[in-house]
Amino acid sequence: MKKLINYLFFTILFSGIAFSQQITGIVFDSETGSPLPGATVVVKGTDVGTNTDFDGNFVLPNVGMNSIIVVSYLGYKSKDVEVVSQNVIQVSLVSEANALDEIVVLGYGVQNSKKVSGAVSSVSAESISKLQPTRIEDALQGSASGVNIITNPNPGAGATVIIRGISSNSGNAPLVVIDGVPQSLSDLNALPPSDISKIDILKDASTAALYGSRGGNGVILVTTKSGFFNQPVKFTFNSSYGMQQVLKTIDVLNATEYASILNEASVASGGSLIYPNLSGLGEGTDWQDSVINDAPLSNQNLSISGGTDSSKYYLSGAFSGTEGVVAGGAKSYFDRLNLTGNFTSKINDKLTAVFNTTYTNIKGSNVNPLNNALNFDPTVPLLDNNQFGISNTITQEIINPLAQLNDTYNKDNTNKFNGKFEIQYELIDGLKVTSRLGYTYADVFNKSFTPLRFYGVGHNQTTANADLTPIFSTDPETGEVTQLYHNSVTESKNNYWQATYEIFGNYNFQINELNNFDVVLGYSIYKAAGSGVSATQEDILENSWEFADITAATGTQEQARIGNYQYESRNLSYIARIDYDYNEKYLAAFTIRRDGSKNFGNENKFGYFPSASVGWIASSEDFFNLKNVSFLKIRASYGTVGNDTAYPQYSRISTFPKYVFNGSINTGSTLLTIPNNALSWENQIQQNYGIDLRFFEDKFSLSTDYYIKSVDDLLFNPTLSGYLGIPQYPIANIGSTETQGIDASISYNNIFKNGLSISASATFSTFDSKVTAINNGEKYIWLSGYGIPYKNLTRFEEGESPGYFFGYVTDGIFQSQSEIDNHANQPNAAPGDIRFKDLNGDGVIDDLDRKKIGDPFAEYTIGFNFNLEYQGFDFFLTTYASIGNDIYRAYERNLNYTNRFASSLDRWRGPGTSNTEPRATFIDSNNNLRQSDRYVEDGSYFRIRNLELGYSLPKSSFDTIGIDKVRIYAQAKNLATFTEYSGYDPEISNGVFDTGIDRGTYPLPRIVSLGFNITF
Amino acid sequence: MKTIKLFLTLFIIFSFISCDDYVDYDAKEDYQVVAEDYFASESDFEAALIGVYDVLQWTTYNVMIGDIASDNSLCGGESATDVIGLQRIDDFLTIADNDQLDRIWRYMYEGINRANYLVENIDKLDSERKESLYGEVYFLRAYFYFELVKFFGDVPLFVDRRLTASDSGTLKRTSVAEVYNQIENDLNSAVLALPSAQSERGRATRSAAQSLLGKVQLYQQKYDEAASSLEQVIGVFGLVDDFGSQFLRQGENGVESIFEIQHTNTSNWYDWGFVPPGTEGNFMIIHHGIRGYSGPVYAQGWSFNLPTQELVDAYQVGDNRKDYTILDIESFSNANGASYTTGYEHTGYFNNKYIPRAGETDAQPELNYLTNYRAIRYADVLLMAAEANALKSSPDFSKATNYLNQVRERAFGNSDNNLVFVSQDGLVKAILDERRLELAMEGHRFFDLVRTGQASSELEGFISGKHELFPIPQTEIDISGLTQNPGY
Repeated sequence: MKKLINYLFFTILFSGIAFSQQITGIVFDSETGSPLPGATVVVKGTDVGTNTDFDGNFVLPNVGMNSIIVVSYLGYKSKDVEVVSQNVIQVSLVSEANALDEIVVLGYGVQNSKKVSGAVSSVSAESISKLQPTRIEDALQGSASGVNIITNPNPGAGATVIIRGISSNSGNAPLVVIDGVPQSLSDLNALPPSDISKIDILKDASTAALYGSRGGNGVILVTTKSGFFNQPVKFTFNSSYGMQQVLKTIDVLNATEYASILNEASVASGGSLIYPNLSGLGEGTDWQDSVINDAPLSNQNLSISGGTDSSKYYLSGAFSGTEGVVAGGAKSYFDRLNLTGNFTSKINDKLTAVFNTTYTNIKGSNVNPLNNALNFDPTVPLLDNNQFGISNTITQEIINPLAQLNDTYNKDNTNKFNGKFEIQYELIDGLKVTSRLGYTYADVFNKSFTPLRFYGVGHNQTTANADLTPIFSTDPETGEVTQLYHNSVTESKNNYWQATYEIFGNYNFQINELNNFDVVLGYSIYKAAGSGVSATQEDILENSWEFADITAATGTQEQARIGNYQYESRNLSYIARIDYDYNEKYLAAFTIRRDGSKNFGNENKFGYFPSASVGWIASSEDFFNLKNVSFLKIRASYGTVGNDTAYPQYSRISTFPKYVFNGSINTGSTLLTIPNNALSWENQIQQNYGIDLRFFEDKFSLSTDYYIKSVDDLLFNPTLSGYLGIPQYPIANIGSTETQGIDASISYNNIFKNGLSISASATFSTFDSKVTAINNGEKYIWLSGYGIPYKNLTRFEEGESPGYFFGYVTDGIFQSQSEIDNHANQPNAAPGDIRFKDLNGDGVIDDLDRKKIGDPFAEYTIGFNFNLEYQGFDFFLTTYASIGNDIYRAYERNLNYTNRFASSLDRWRGPGTSNTEPRATFIDSNNNLRQSDRYVEDGSYFRIRNLELGYSLPKSSFDTIGIDKVRIYAQAKNLATFTEYSGYDPEISNGVFDTGIDRGTYPLPRIVSLGFNITF
Repeated sequence: MKTIKLFLTLFIIFSFISCDDYVDYDAKEDYQVVAEDYFASESDFEAALIGVYDVLQWTTYNVMIGDIASDNSLCGGESATDVIGLQRIDDFLTIADNDQLDRIWRYMYEGINRANYLVENIDKLDSERKESLYGEVYFLRAYFYFELVKFFGDVPLFVDRRLTASDSGTLKRTSVAEVYNQIENDLNSAVLALPSAQSERGRATRSAAQSLLGKVQLYQQKYDEAASSLEQVIGVFGLVDDFGSQFLRQGENGVESIFEIQHTNTSNWYDWGFVPPGTEGNFMIIHHGIRGYSGPVYAQGWSFNLPTQELVDAYQVGDNRKDYTILDIESFSNANGASYTTGYEHTGYFNNKYIPRAGETDAQPELNYLTNYRAIRYADVLLMAAEANALKSSPDFSKATNYLNQVRERAFGNSDNNLVFVSQDGLVKAILDERRLELAMEGHRFFDLVRTGQASSELEGFISGKHELFPIPQTEIDISGLTQNPGY
């Protein structure tokens, strides 16, 4: 409003300088090309003005050549246009939502991106809405440089998000801040992407230091949508429906192949033929096929936004439903409902109140039977006498995947509220004080049921007779009869909430017109708490999910189990930031945060996190005249941030120890934990050097950063001397890492005269993380592993990259006994077994002959987005490439009677038959199955992530009924993936340090969907 | 400037609203008992003592290795890599990086630290119970140190307090002789402090301390002392008539049992990542079960610790102990219509003394077998006393022969197979052979072979000067800078 008043004022003041000439023009939306009726067009410095008509046209009489016309429209950015000819003037206005691109949201304030001297990546609402992700993290993949996203296609599962490398063993998740309120990565799950207006990612210390001890892994700032002042009410409805389809299955043996290998293995081990007659076996059962199905997915959302001159609002409702491509139906799904109301009200000239609330309901159920589908016996039929087919030979772990589906019952239901209440008060011009209370409150309910199950007599997971009646066992001495196994139901109720109260002041002022200051000063109190109760009871009526509730369980008090927990963390922080620029040419910023946390030891409750950055906009210098370079900025920053994955320290007496006297259990005690009073956060020092360039009238832009992050004081559980016994040792700050990397993005934007609009962008990210010290004695810790019995696989080790695969190196197959004799001593090896390399040359193959055999993290990733719009058509393409990430194939169970994989068809069957696949045998005396590079594959891939074609109907066809825009589109996600990897998909996420370990990962489906957007 | 002042004033006002003590922490917030508040009442001492007993239940591998490392049994399991640490021990391919040995080391020291925690706080207790309570503490500490010495030889010795994180890496190995000296001191204290009988089954008694003292002395070839220690127990206990009955549920804590590690099947808490410390059941039992078994009497398990044909053949005809010690699965299945599958190193025999029996577990079945471990039996004491009497400075051969024959008479149900004294060597040989037959599959054989110097002649692959001891865990070498045992 103020601007309008100013214009009015100026137009009155300077009216009357003109000579006659009539000009005409049209005003349209830069994004959609649709005309904007009712836009204001004013000749600058005059009172001459008009509004555009229904088709966006305007006519202005008496306009002088070279005068400036100002075009403005509610919800759009105003634009100045110089009159240079009598031609029709085309004015494209950028909607305010897009205009946000030029504003960067920093913690506790915003800044013009031009003036930013730190490292920030931004993703706009436009690209989020085009990608239609179910989860917001998906939209970041390839769109923001320096951000690695490894998605997990299991419905409802979160992605792994890594910002600028892996600098810690304990926590690598970035901090998520939604509308100024700190949250966690998992809270992103609850937000519908359609409600998001903008995402900014603070990557370097100078920007993240404002979040101090929690900013060490970067900060994702999410801004949700709001209405605009004076905006007529606008309805937006989006709907899409799609089908998910698994494109690739893993090549396992069919029944005949399986039986013949089993025969061979049995005979080789001195046994007899297991399948004397192979002829009738045929293909057998394709277990993968039995559990993988096409599955639907749908998204609907409706939003209403608008505003008066003193208030604005945004209301939305969104529903997203996904069924799993594996299992599907009631066994595997994720449904999310959101209701959002964001209100802003100007109470008077100085006081503004903001009230945002989102309610979320998430329901889901989860099961992944792929491990069983890949390993189960193919000679077993799906059903056998109306019961699930049973293997008589597999007696451990692996079961019929359909039976697993049938016997898995779980559901969860989350109800959550989050939002904020904020008051902004403008004390004087340029000085605004903000007081904000942000909150999250969630209740999570889980229930699961374990029925009595039958997978064959003697199978170690069988808990019932074949007719599902309980198994009773009679003590031969006493004649006492006991029921061996019971079904059980477990219910848990969890609650968590967090609240952040912050008060801070932003003061913008100028000194001598050229020295611009932007100062933030404030403090923040944070509290997060949670609690939960769980209970398990046995003996559910009818062995049925229908009765699976503690209410209906008939177990005795002795059979019941209960558990509970609670936690609370508290932080107290003081923040200060000064941004300075001289004439928008020389930039400097200084930030400091003082952070205190309950979780730190008594001697280290508070820490200081300072940072500074400088920038130079060279293109603003008078002497700068590089041809075609329209903008050049050079940046550098240096600072400290932290990572606070510690927990409170105290010496705890545990009452867990128990012993039996007189046949009954007595509760004892022991000192369980030893405190570390010196415990502190992980201190991270970051340097960042960047350059931003724009060429050819800003059509091309390039931004690149080089950074070094070094972390001291990594939090580790030290391995202490064994003669201390097994108490829980305190974590200590005893390790360090260093990460270097490059983020780069390049983009091209152009709107051609004929209305063709093209934008393209590419991002490039690479990092190299190294563990530089671990002072726990062993110099490494195991991070993750796989299998039964459990095999350690990934390590965090001094001198190596974090989370690398550790194992033996294979060197072909022993073709003969003489080859074995000539090799280093490899105990119990026989011809046909794998030859392992004697890496240390000591003549013995043992644990010391292991080394790095792979790295699950990509050497670099490249994202590419391409967008084309022309005459109502739009085309959108995104691709993503991950190069140099290794995968460890851990889904092969390799019991004697489990199914084998296609590679085993090339096995060794005598001298010269194979140098890659070992012999088939039931007695793996050589331990061919040990962790080795045999299971490591190159997981590099190139994926066409998203291909979308849309068409916006001509406005003329429906404007009479009050509709502003109708767009229909077809979209294909994960259209094609190019990779050498033999498993389902090379993108494998289960958490940072499970990355790349394929334990039967949920396959990433192709999704083909149709949808439409209507705005009215 | 005025505005800046105003701004600063506001900021200062708000800063005072919350103070730095907002981030202080008191464990009572989380309803936790902290060490500073503990040992305030006698019940805290009783609880801490139960905490020491608790560790006895984690000696699963200590016992299994006693036979697996010997000629009594093969490791077995599912495959050659199933519990690789035990496989390597069986094959005398042990390396210092051995998960099972690492557990033994840490668990025994956990017991010692828990005992020391009580010793550290001894001055805080003032009650009539004090003497006998500490008698139990000393007995248990001796038990754990003895296990360590048996497996590892020289080990770090500390007795006055529980170690803390700052002690890590500061201790060195103490000679076996000094550790034995401490064990004897503890047991002597225990003998004085403990009652002859306890009202609660499972607690250490004076006889238990005397028996363990005699055993420790026997291990040091102190035959005179051993004989006199063990003599205290002779006649206090007796042999059960039916050899096999003492290994059944009904026979637990019977007349022959001097010290028995207690288990129950009533604990329903479990976490596979925290076994055996998390269960009150006997985790050893499932290891010995028949793979894929379906049938009466027994229950299925993991087919470890499989008796060898050689052991089976060592029993004379008429020796009742054979069938109670060894289950011949083929003949049993044929007779009872049971079925089973075979695992690695299948010998056809299973450990019938400690085997999953139907109806003896509950909740998570693998973890909750109720079977107690008979740590010290009277038959063991008789044979040890026989050995000590035969070898002491003034041997008493008739006593030795008598004790030996008590055991044999019970085994055969008659005196037809009693031995007649011929020579000292012959008697000692006969006693040691009898120990094998009487105590087979109870975890004694390997250590008996080593202490009597027979290991290298009896065990294939055994290297003298190396395999008498197991390697100190590699992590302990790396972290604590301890020296390794010879040959590893």
